[in-house]
Amino acid sequence: MPEIEAVGIVKRYGGLVANDGVDLSVDRGEIHGVMGENGAGKTTLMSILFGLQTPDAGEIRIHGAPVRFHSPIDAMAAGMGMVHQSFKLFASLEVWENIVYGAEPRRGPFIDRRAARAQVAELAGRHRLAVDPDATVGELSVGVRQRVEILKALYRDARVLILDEPTAVLTPPERDALFGVLRRLAAEGRTVLLVTHKLHEAAAITDRVTVLRDGRTVAVLRTAETSARDIIRAMIGRNVNLIVEKGPAQAGAPSLAAVDLTVAGAAAKPVVDRVSLTVRAGEIVGIAGVAGNGQSELVEALVGLRPPDGGRVEICGIDVTAADVETRRAAGLAYVPEDRAAVGSALTASAADNLAMGFQRAAPLARGGLINPVAIAERARALIRRYAIRISSERAAVGKLSGGNLQKVVVARELSHDAPVLIAEQPTRGLDIGATETIHARLIAERDNGRAVLLVSAELAEILALSDRVLVMFEGRVLADLAQAEADEDSVGLLMAGRTWESA
Amino acid sequence: MNGAPRWTAVALRLRPPPVAIAILFAALTGGALVLVSGHDPLQAYAEIVRGSLSRDSLPDTLNWATPLVGMTLAAALPLRGGMVNLGGDGQLVIGGLIGALLPLVLPGQGALVSIVALGAAALGAGLYAMLAAWGETRHGIPMLISSLLLSYPAVGVTSYLARFPFRDVATGLPQTPMIPEAARLYTLSGPLDAGSLLIAAIAAAAIFVDRRTVVGYELRMRGKNLRFAGYGGVRLDRQAMRTMFASGAIAGVVGAILVLGSQFRFIDDALLSPSYTWSGLMAALLVGGEPAGAILSALFFSALQTGGFAMQRETSVPRVLTLVLQAIVILFLAMRQGVGRRAS
Ligand SMILES: Nc1ncnc2c1ncn2[C@@H]1O[C@H](COP(=O)(O)OP(=O)(O)OP(=O)(O)O)[C@@H](O)[C@H]1O
Ligand SMILES: [Mg+2]
Repeated sequence: MPEIEAVGIVKRYGGLVANDGVDLSVDRGEIHGVMGENGAGKTTLMSILFGLQTPDAGEIRIHGAPVRFHSPIDAMAAGMGMVHQSFKLFASLEVWENIVYGAEPRRGPFIDRRAARAQVAELAGRHRLAVDPDATVGELSVGVRQRVEILKALYRDARVLILDEPTAVLTPPERDALFGVLRRLAAEGRTVLLVTHKLHEAAAITDRVTVLRDGRTVAVLRTAETSARDIIRAMIGRNVNLIVEKGPAQAGAPSLAAVDLTVAGAAAKPVVDRVSLTVRAGEIVGIAGVAGNGQSELVEALVGLRPPDGGRVEICGIDVTAADVETRRAAGLAYVPEDRAAVGSALTASAADNLAMGFQRAAPLARGGLINPVAIAERARALIRRYAIRISSERAAVGKLSGGNLQKVVVARELSHDAPVLIAEQPTRGLDIGATETIHARLIAERDNGRAVLLVSAELAEILALSDRVLVMFEGRVLADLAQAEADEDSVGLLMAGRTWESA
Repeated sequence: MNGAPRWTAVALRLRPPPVAIAILFAALTGGALVLVSGHDPLQAYAEIVRGSLSRDSLPDTLNWATPLVGMTLAAALPLRGGMVNLGGDGQLVIGGLIGALLPLVLPGQGALVSIVALGAAALGAGLYAMLAAWGETRHGIPMLISSLLLSYPAVGVTSYLARFPFRDVATGLPQTPMIPEAARLYTLSGPLDAGSLLIAAIAAAAIFVDRRTVVGYELRMRGKNLRFAGYGGVRLDRQAMRTMFASGAIAGVVGAILVLGSQFRFIDDALLSPSYTWSGLMAALLVGGEPAGAILSALFFSALQTGGFAMQRETSVPRVLTLVLQAIVILFLAMRQGVGRRAS
């Protein structure tokens, strides 16, 4: 008997059918992958299983018995746990407070802090999830926060754990650690539902994969008997070339340069420590590094969102160190930010308004201070078509889009700039395989058109596949500047851990 | 099979707008109150409508609406960009005092004097409002606080000036001397003067800027996501300063219009006692600063308040009823729209 089943789940949003009769069946102790293109309905299905949404039709069964979740509280009571894509933790509270929140051990009317802390420490130890119960969540790295989310579910004794694209924000070592945890949980008889876009992850950890397409279940595959090609064909109905094709770079003059760029941090040690780099027209320079080693701060200093404490930034030969974002953009900069929702878009604004940002002052979108709504709408429609963004119309707000489709909005906007310099931070985060392939091909085409591209990605494979040169950042410094030929998983991996050639 | 969802979709589309529900709900509650107090609710409501919208009373409503729409716009502009100007009172009295004093000292006469006085009122009040934005961008004092705090000295100093240095000693009241007839605003008909036209023009301009200009677009985006606007290249500091200048300038113009058009002198407290600032803030908050909606809600409030006076005259139901109705409408809509719940 399956641990949990979804039968004929239908969920409509207005005219849009997000789930159109989805079936899912997961056995106890299984790690079950859920895959599908952006907008296929994966997150919708997971939200229904966790009681965040109620289905319009269909049934959820646990051990064969139908259940009805009106809220996550019902779902948790039935043994469901969820690790959200954007974590729902209180940043200013400590780890143990976050974990016991809502289910605190009490002594009379008071929270029994000592017992709570001890329980959390015991739980973390038992599952080998290394976290300090007394640390403040806001100061933790993304990977550790995710562990807190998992502990939170385990504290409520979740028997089914749902993870929606948990690896999108993780570094490879963090991902491997997470997989270790998931395997142990499965071995204990817990059940794991894992949404992912990454084939190698599905291959590495899942027992079976359910593939969704346009809101329907199109295949249930046993991983051991399945090739990546089979999964892709089930997801998109065609073959995708997973190997990035690219010729040698024709690098020209330097377009983006940083000299001894320094950003001070809260601690004595600067977060960005005298970083110098040059990106020439017609080349892609990748920045590899474990998240939190100063890459985000470096990029913010380059684009003008964070004033540097030392050093210089030049765009196309113009010193822009003291300039604001507007001036840097005018000097020739396009930028795909790491966080599509908090920085890269206005969720309540229409797609047309979102796609116009950065172009709003120049023809054809504006003339003499007046905006041209027709041109804005036309441009938006063209980009939506070109990047196959799943949205009802350009007038719809982007907050309702699936994660990958929102990412496409941001990437489409920035790639449509003619700017000579493109800084792309995690450009394919959350994108499905087909969209990732499209964006990779676009980045290379841009390079061949003479753009200078600075690529920051947590995906080492992406960096290695696209970059002509690879810089490795560790603790705020650039440890190495490798030509493409010298950069491989091993050499870069060692450097990411802070080991240079000599000490390795 | 397909019938059920289609019907719900139709029902959803036919659902009356929240404003209509709010007004209906308020009318029912208010009616019950009137009934309990032993009066006829239908008669009371009839008087409100007659007293605000009939041919005779419409000019009164519009006259009352002039400052209210103005102060609503002064509040709506910053709100559109996620900022709050709580200093409307200060900006109003600065504009009023400038409008009352300049015609006394300016040579020449007629329309030119009133135009210069209006311009100076806008400039003075605008610059004063800008101080609050400057406090936030340069010194990190939240604008919510700085704009409110700056209001008190403005009110205090103008009051002092009207009571002492510039007092009209002939009357013995805390007020400045009458401005010459030639410098007063042109009267259109009855209580209406050119000031109403000016506010109408400002209202039209606000809607146009919001919908059709780059400035309006950038302000809207700021209101929806500050970091997004900054990332997209909007110069946030400058935008805050300019928006607050425009907001203060409108408040200043309202003050000057009241002085040049109906009071003809600066009377201490006369500009503040009707609390245009706070009614305007409410009207603007209801619609998140969207100018057309803000103007409509301001007009609605004006009709309600004007009708209230008529009702009090004609029936023995006290005028407070209309304030109750207004409060219920506001509460209801605020609940529905989650005013104050910021988009994350
Ligand atoms: N609250 C909502 N209101 C309206 N439409 C919605 C809502 N939530 C999801 N949708 C729509 O439902 C469809 C499925 O969305 P869902 O988030 O389930 O996709 P997904 O498979 O998780 O995609 P991704 O891989 O991009 O995360 C999308 O087209 C999305 O725009
Ligand atoms: Mg999703």
